[in-house]
Amino acid sequence: MLAAKAISKRFGRNLALDGVDFCARPGEIHALVGENGAGKSTLINIFAGRLRPDDGHATLDGAALRAGSPHAALRAGIAAVYQSPMLFERMTWEENLALGGFLGEADQLHLDEVAARARALAAELSFDLPPPGTRVEDCSVTERVRLEIIRALSFDPRVLILDEPTGVLAPGELAAFLELLRRLRADGRIVVIVTHKLAEALAVADRITVLRHGRRVAERPAAETGEAELAQMMIGELAPAPPRPLYFRHTNEPVLMVEHLTAVRDGRRVLDDVSLTLGAGDIAGIVGVDGNGQTELVEVMAGVRAPIAGRTRLADRGDNGPDAQMAIVPQNRDLDGLILEMTLWENLMLAPALRRRFSRSGGWLARARAVEFCAQTLSRFRIDAAGPFAPAGALSGGNRQRLAVARALATAPKVLIAHDICRGLDLRATSEVHRMLREYAAAGGAVLLISGDLDELLILCAQLWVISRGRLTEVPPENRNAARLGLLMSGAVR
Amino acid sequence: MLEAFLTSTIAMATPILLAALGETIVEYSGVINIGIEGSMLCGAFFGLAAAYFSGSLALGMIAAVAAAIALNALLALLVVNLAVSQVVAGTALDILALGLTGVFYRRLFGITGKAFTVAPIRPIALGPLAHIPVVGPALFDQNVIVYAAFALVPCIAGVLSRSRYGLELRAAGERPEAADALGLNVYRIRWQALLIAGALTGLAGGYLTMAYADTFVEGISAGRGFVALAVVIVGRWNAYGVAAASVLFGSAMALQFALQASGTAIPYQLFLALPYALTLAVLAIFGGQANAPSALGEPYVRR
Amino acid sequence: MKAGIIAKPIAAVILAAALIALVLLALGASPFGVMGALWQGAFGTWLAFTETLVKAMPLVFCGLAVAIAFQGALWNIGADGQLIAGATLAGALGPALTHWPHLLAIPAMLAAGVAGGATWGGVAGWLRARRDVNEIISTIMLNFVAAQILSAAVHGPLMEPSRAYPKSAPIAPGAELHLYFAPSRLNLAMALAVALAAGCYLFLFRTRAGFELRALGRNRRASAFFGIPIARLTTRTLALSGALAGLGGAVQVSAITHRLYETLSPGWGYEAIAVALVARLNPLAIVATAIFFGALDNGAQAMQRAEGVSPVLVQVIQGMVIMILLAFDTSAWSGMRTVFAGAPTVPAANTPAAASDA
Repeated sequence: MLAAKAISKRFGRNLALDGVDFCARPGEIHALVGENGAGKSTLINIFAGRLRPDDGHATLDGAALRAGSPHAALRAGIAAVYQSPMLFERMTWEENLALGGFLGEADQLHLDEVAARARALAAELSFDLPPPGTRVEDCSVTERVRLEIIRALSFDPRVLILDEPTGVLAPGELAAFLELLRRLRADGRIVVIVTHKLAEALAVADRITVLRHGRRVAERPAAETGEAELAQMMIGELAPAPPRPLYFRHTNEPVLMVEHLTAVRDGRRVLDDVSLTLGAGDIAGIVGVDGNGQTELVEVMAGVRAPIAGRTRLADRGDNGPDAQMAIVPQNRDLDGLILEMTLWENLMLAPALRRRFSRSGGWLARARAVEFCAQTLSRFRIDAAGPFAPAGALSGGNRQRLAVARALATAPKVLIAHDICRGLDLRATSEVHRMLREYAAAGGAVLLISGDLDELLILCAQLWVISRGRLTEVPPENRNAARLGLLMSGAVR
Repeated sequence: MLEAFLTSTIAMATPILLAALGETIVEYSGVINIGIEGSMLCGAFFGLAAAYFSGSLALGMIAAVAAAIALNALLALLVVNLAVSQVVAGTALDILALGLTGVFYRRLFGITGKAFTVAPIRPIALGPLAHIPVVGPALFDQNVIVYAAFALVPCIAGVLSRSRYGLELRAAGERPEAADALGLNVYRIRWQALLIAGALTGLAGGYLTMAYADTFVEGISAGRGFVALAVVIVGRWNAYGVAAASVLFGSAMALQFALQASGTAIPYQLFLALPYALTLAVLAIFGGQANAPSALGEPYVRR
Repeated sequence: MKAGIIAKPIAAVILAAALIALVLLALGASPFGVMGALWQGAFGTWLAFTETLVKAMPLVFCGLAVAIAFQGALWNIGADGQLIAGATLAGALGPALTHWPHLLAIPAMLAAGVAGGATWGGVAGWLRARRDVNEIISTIMLNFVAAQILSAAVHGPLMEPSRAYPKSAPIAPGAELHLYFAPSRLNLAMALAVALAAGCYLFLFRTRAGFELRALGRNRRASAFFGIPIARLTTRTLALSGALAGLGGAVQVSAITHRLYETLSPGWGYEAIAVALVARLNPLAIVATAIFFGALDNGAQAMQRAEGVSPVLVQVIQGMVIMILLAFDTSAWSGMRTVFAGAPTVPAANTPAAASDA
């Protein structure tokens, strides 16, 4: 039995977990649900030994788990597959697995033995493994998820923890994955899955624990509850009915034309003849599993990556060049979007259009004006910060994303391109950002959202494409059901 | 003449090779050690001092190794445990070592008044092999440290690519947080690597004052530590590549003497500058960092 | 200004002093005797004080060079070589400027210094920008090469007419920066140094290019994403950095030495790293830290006379101060890392942010 008693964990000002109890029994699939920021990842990181709780303790079969040591956790029989990939890209998959449990304590590196045992395990699970000697960086996203699962299982763990495992799966692969979980449970293991997708949790879990703002609010057998109740417990109030999708008509004013874009990386086509047209007032979406060309598409549009064919055209280049017409919110806001050590007004200046606007002749910065502009932007977009001189790192995740979006919108561009704009945000912040997008579109802006979150795009987008292996497939409204989209996303159908 | 040049090449390549082998291991684990020069210098001085005052070369070499390990341990404390900037910490160590060796050298040398020198380690001829024309003396009539250095190359190559230790080392340098999640102790791995490199660099330093030359002058390392950094890059983080690159730079240094002895009108300073200019040129052609361990130079902090 | 910004460097110096005291005891010298001698030597008399300022001058130029580059996470360890390059060019030009009036000769000398240093730095910048060559290694290699070029020059083509000693012919009188405070060696160049420090401050914090440089130093990926021209910025910044150091070299030749010698620089370029770091990469503070280290250099000779400790001890102090400052700046002490756990922490310890609080 995997248990936690009164666990608390604080990060700076933020109380991530507040006296949480938890209990999962052998032969059980236990779902840990809550929205982004509820504390789920923190809790399982504590179980896996990567974090030390400030208070309370975790036990397995009554024995206390040594805090803060992944090694001890693995020894005790807890293995985890995390939300962010933990594979070594430049090593082969055999080498990656060799760092798991197949070799035990041996000093010799018997890669063929590792491969053999991996194949045996994969066969049991009906997985396919990549060809021998393939580096992980050449493996697809699905293959990587499978490798991580096999590596976790190689430790022969009593407890298997999976953090948001279905995020990278196409809808069609979901059923097989849930079946896999049931099979693991049959061995008497404890399986804990962390998810914010209630339908999946209900489909496979035996019992469900709900976290909200760092506290455990409920624990129920799955059979005795339903989506509505769980959603209410997750959010704390009646969840608002999702707004009906609004379909804007094309205003016949194309603003952005992407024409036959093709890009290559390491010899592989990452973008393959991508074409789309965006009109003023449109909110369009590209949905797909991570790693199918989304990042490269954004890079091409940002001018950071050169395509080998095709081009991106703006209908009206305007007086201030393409930078002023097109604004981009990149995927990884903390790595690519913001400089956490710099102040807020300086982060706003990263946007090329703003930098140009607040530069005077001779290369001087119009500092006072830029600071004033930042103050105005902070209040206009209701960003919770101490002021323009606060360091960006002091803002919470939600506010940082708001800042990134505000920066993009502040220059009143014609086109906004956003990649995973709401990833990691809780519901309130998410609906805030959606509101900002809708206002912007209503005022005549064009929005292109690139995301893996199907639900979000179905609500917001008039036009929808699926991206798979660098190719776009348009999905008219009548075809937008989960089954069809799933097939398109997994590349099974064109 | 060619024989002398080749012998000189191998002799000059040795300290660079030792330091570069150590640095390869360290960089595999994700740390870049700019302080090699300082460790080498400390090894050179304190090793010679120990040999001088004790009369034993063996003790001197042990002291050389110990001094360099101590300096690397200081670096490890700063860059592993305290996760400070590796570049700045390494540079500070170089400055510190220059100062420390200088201060102690002048203090001690002033006292003794005698020449600060020892009888150097003698070369050991490996039987009839040493008599092979042209390459014989170069390869088979060197001192024991040279043999050890080159013998280490296949050993280290094997360890890095085929042992579990090597794999764990690489994991720490590619993605430390993933290595941590797998139960590997990244701090311990990096500490170990730095200490091993310290031993090798100490050998290199001791070699400089107790085998190659027979005395100490301030700054005797003359940038070899930095050349070693370049050698790791040019050798593509591969033990055999590192060996080849070391020999290349050793030959540039040997060329100095060969050309000077040939009595050309070209000023000798150009020959002194040759190894450094060559390093620069080779780096410009081959010096891409694309093969470097992914997390090289990034401090890692366990949460 | 937050008190913490000044407190850390001061605390670092105090701690270093304590450790140095231990080293001194190991050497058999008296720590208090040493400190007294240092103080006397650096500030005891008016002449000593002006000499401290004179010794600080090249540290200001090189310190600014290092700070500018470090703000962009461009590790310029080659300020020494860049200073030598500038000095050599100025020292070669100087003797030819006979009959030139001051107003033309001095700028000519300074321009030569800038040209020499900018070239030397620019090479490393270009190599980094276009060939991905680690600038730490390239600038250090260039240091050695520059030293040899200078040596070859004063032994050869630039050697003084009597060919008795390895030094160059003296520069024309018009090219000498006046000594306005004779018999001290203090001169107008100090004003130039201070003006440059102010200029560098304005550049870093009030211009667009300076902003882009600081952004580059703190987050390369984001900088690339937002169209900051990284290659161009790298080359230009290292050229600018070299130009500052080269200017310092020209000033040395023009104001102090009036000719070239083989050992022109006792390691100013390396010392400047300590100068820049203790100043937290802030150009205005560099004037102060340069004076501090200049005082150490100046007082060191008195220290040797009084206690028999080699002036090289100053380098031990430099190294220790840097390491202690680094240790104080880590997450263990700073409160910056109070960020929400969900956000990945960008490793900032390898960026200038760890060294500066600007």
